[in-house]
Amino acid sequence: MASGKKDVPKIDSSELKELTDKLMTACHILDHEGVTDGYGHISVRVPGADAFVTIANVSPGCVTRDRLIMQDLDGNYLDGAKTPPNEWPIHSCILRARPEIVSVAHTHSKWSTIFSVLPIKLKPMHHYGKFLSADGPPVYQGVGLVRTVERGNDLAAALGNQPAVLMRAHGDAVVGESVEQVIERTTRLAMLGEWNHLAMLHGEPKYLTAEELEAYNADQRFPMRGWEYYVSRLEEKR
Amino acid sequence: MASANSEIPAFDSGELKELKQKLVAGCHILDREGITDSFGHVSIRVPGTEAFLTIAGVSPGCATLDRLIMLDLEGHYLGGDKSSPYEWPIHALIMRARPEVMSVAHTHSRWSALFSVIRGGLRPIHMYAKFLPAGGPPIYPAAGLIGTFERGEALAATLKDANAVLLRAHGDAVVGTSLEQTIQRTIQLAFLGQLAHMAVAHGEPLYMSQDELAIFSSDPAFPARPWEYYLSRIRERHSA
Repeated sequence: MASGKKDVPKIDSSELKELTDKLMTACHILDHEGVTDGYGHISVRVPGADAFVTIANVSPGCVTRDRLIMQDLDGNYLDGAKTPPNEWPIHSCILRARPEIVSVAHTHSKWSTIFSVLPIKLKPMHHYGKFLSADGPPVYQGVGLVRTVERGNDLAAALGNQPAVLMRAHGDAVVGESVEQVIERTTRLAMLGEWNHLAMLHGEPKYLTAEELEAYNADQRFPMRGWEYYVSRLEEKR
Repeated sequence: MASANSEIPAFDSGELKELKQKLVAGCHILDREGITDSFGHVSIRVPGTEAFLTIAGVSPGCATLDRLIMLDLEGHYLGGDKSSPYEWPIHALIMRARPEVMSVAHTHSRWSALFSVIRGGLRPIHMYAKFLPAGGPPIYPAAGLIGTFERGEALAATLKDANAVLLRAHGDAVVGTSLEQTIQRTIQLAFLGQLAHMAVAHGEPLYMSQDELAIFSSDPAFPARPWEYYLSRIRERHSA
């Protein structure tokens, strides 16, 4: 870990410019798409290091370059603005438990929140849910903000090897192998929640089975198209 | 087929300019009206040929004149941007099965996605449904993107002679004898889905019978009026 830290580039270095730009864009996208409100945060792992960059106690929609912070996976401050988000252990504990994960988003999405407190699960009824298991995301039952390493580890354990976890009476945490993938998944999770909610009025929908999800997963993917589209919507707003 | 294709104008010819502009406008309209998201595509047949234009692996809302592609009804590349949409067979196989169809739209409309997975189907409760059967559009039941000739044929077989088909857990495909009609029907299908959804909260609505739909169908249509309206709404956005 100590040797990992030595190699960590500065938050303002040109090496991290593209990644930090992408992180800010991602925050603005979640805000523009109505997924985050005054709270929520996204992190991105610093390539090859035990460190991550996230937003420094600011609403995702208000993030600017001088309000980014870099921390290591123990939560120690490394660089940037000095105000870590309250729930930094969401990022550090998941990034520690899942070495393949590059980015984590935490939101208070209304749709994740609803399905975190219902007896029914948020299950895929559209192929946008193909990144989920047929049974839907697990639910972290703990109460209280995830402000300690213990709670962060509990959350990471509830997530297991899944792409998303709902947090009871709180929201969600979504992971991916790129910032783009996390944004795609987080927006999709919200769409699926909304569509599941709509469907419930009509009785239980015909969910996709694990085999049917496999059929969709075997098809070609277009991870970048969603990103281009969401960025175009931000530009429209500006 | 070969003889028909020999008459296809070159992708960059002035002859196709108007079609291309209409296609891009149709895509922007579906985005502006909240029907498409990052996915979905619209096609337009090159009149009198077995070829069509569609968008080349780009979100409908981001379509531009230089991101269009021309394919024949077997999916062969005929010109334009080289990235075919993954689900080109939706367009090719429906146009092949339905010679009168000039335009096809495929979307992930939330209302079509919803009614594709619930019992009872999307039954009409408004006259906008005059292009639909009283039982609502047929539902294509299989999982998987329409990335092959076989799946395209199966989809066209489910659509048969209807004007719209829902794709289970996926969205819809809507056809028309003009691009304007296809766009209008796609938007109206979403409106009908939203209305039917809202109505169910109040108990079973008064659905329209086939006879009643036929009365509306026999009234004259005004295909150009909504197109002008939808165009005015995308101009608003572009000039904002």
